Amino acid sequence: MRRRLLYIASIVLLLAACESYDCTLYNHVGCYGAFYQDSASVSLDDTLTITAGKSGPVLLNKSVGTSKIDLSLSYWQDEDTLVLTVKGTDYLVQDTIWISKSNQVHYESPDCPATLFHTIQGVRSTHEFIDSINVIRSSVNYEQTNNLQIHLFSAAD
Amino acid sequence: MNRPTTCRYICSLLLISLTCLSLQAQEQKEKEGKAPLFSGIAVSADIVGFVMKAVDAKFANMEVGARVNLYDKIFPVAELGIGDCHREGAETGNTFSTTSPYMRFGMDYNFNKKHNGNRLFGLFRYGFSSFKYDVANKAFTDPIYGTTIPLEMNDEKATGHWLEFGVGVETKLWKFIRLGWSMRYKFRISMKSPDGGDPYFIPGYGKNDTNGWGGTVSLVFDVGQNLMKKKQSRETNK
Repeated sequence: MRRRLLYIASIVLLLAACESYDCTLYNHVGCYGAFYQDSASVSLDDTLTITAGKSGPVLLNKSVGTSKIDLSLSYWQDEDTLVLTVKGTDYLVQDTIWISKSNQVHYESPDCPATLFHTIQGVRSTHEFIDSINVIRSSVNYEQTNNLQIHLFSAAD
Repeated sequence: MNRPTTCRYICSLLLISLTCLSLQAQEQKEKEGKAPLFSGIAVSADIVGFVMKAVDAKFANMEVGARVNLYDKIFPVAELGIGDCHREGAETGNTFSTTSPYMRFGMDYNFNKKHNGNRLFGLFRYGFSSFKYDVANKAFTDPIYGTTIPLEMNDEKATGHWLEFGVGVETKLWKFIRLGWSMRYKFRISMKSPDGGDPYFIPGYGKNDTNGWGGTVSLVFDVGQNLMKKKQSRETNK
């Protein structure tokens, strides 16, 4: 009987000693946008490059056939500046998007990487090829659904 | 040794044996009889928590408890403690720390019918802790933009409520000193915490999860058994 109790106590102690990490598996925070033209979803035939500001990190490099973009927002800045460059065979156009936002720390446990979620407060842009931008979801977190609808000028323009 | 002497010797032995058996049966009956309503009080301390704190473990729940003994069967219990957790993520550099009080109320039910100071019991507890915690990361770096700003969330307030069910045993070591252990299944019934993130640890509950296991090894000072004995001896004298 005592030996049996000892076995049970040992198993319980072993189980108590185990520890598991329950970090979120998909932990990328992205601001997702999709391109629209004449109210229909489109993809850009030419190469698209997105940089953070004029000389910031490259967020998207020479992407072809892009219909959706995944923008990493800065942790702490109140406003991010994104420069979109579209390069064709004989032309190059640039537009700048300013995304103003608030930042919220998201913490799960000591073993999981902390990150920041954001709430988009407003978006404005220059108008070389971008007509307008609608914010359809202001929360930027682990969800992989679109935040922005980027409307391009109509093909007729 | 002649025959009458042997016979007298055997008769004496039989008489003594019968008397002993009778006394033993009476004592057994007293032990199995109904204990008084108020059979005393006991105070206890969970040794595990203090040992974990002494060896600088990731977390420790240091607690003391008090219970009332009713009929040596039902034991209303109150447990008060301090939950202590200082934890740093191995790869993230995130730290979590809290040192906050907690309390539990509940009841033990003793299945042992004999009043011999030993207990085999089932337990139920309601636990509660309103606490503050700190989260920090000194080298919190934005992986895309490269800026490093220390992450500091101080005095974040949270509240946790939970229930515990379990079993335990307790044995008499010496006079009024008992040693016991219990194994408990815990499940969280509610928790309030800031939007930034849930606490890693709830004082008294352990690692913050929907459920979990816990245990105690308690040193108990039981005054109840002495009171019972005094009452029994008074009744015997009457």
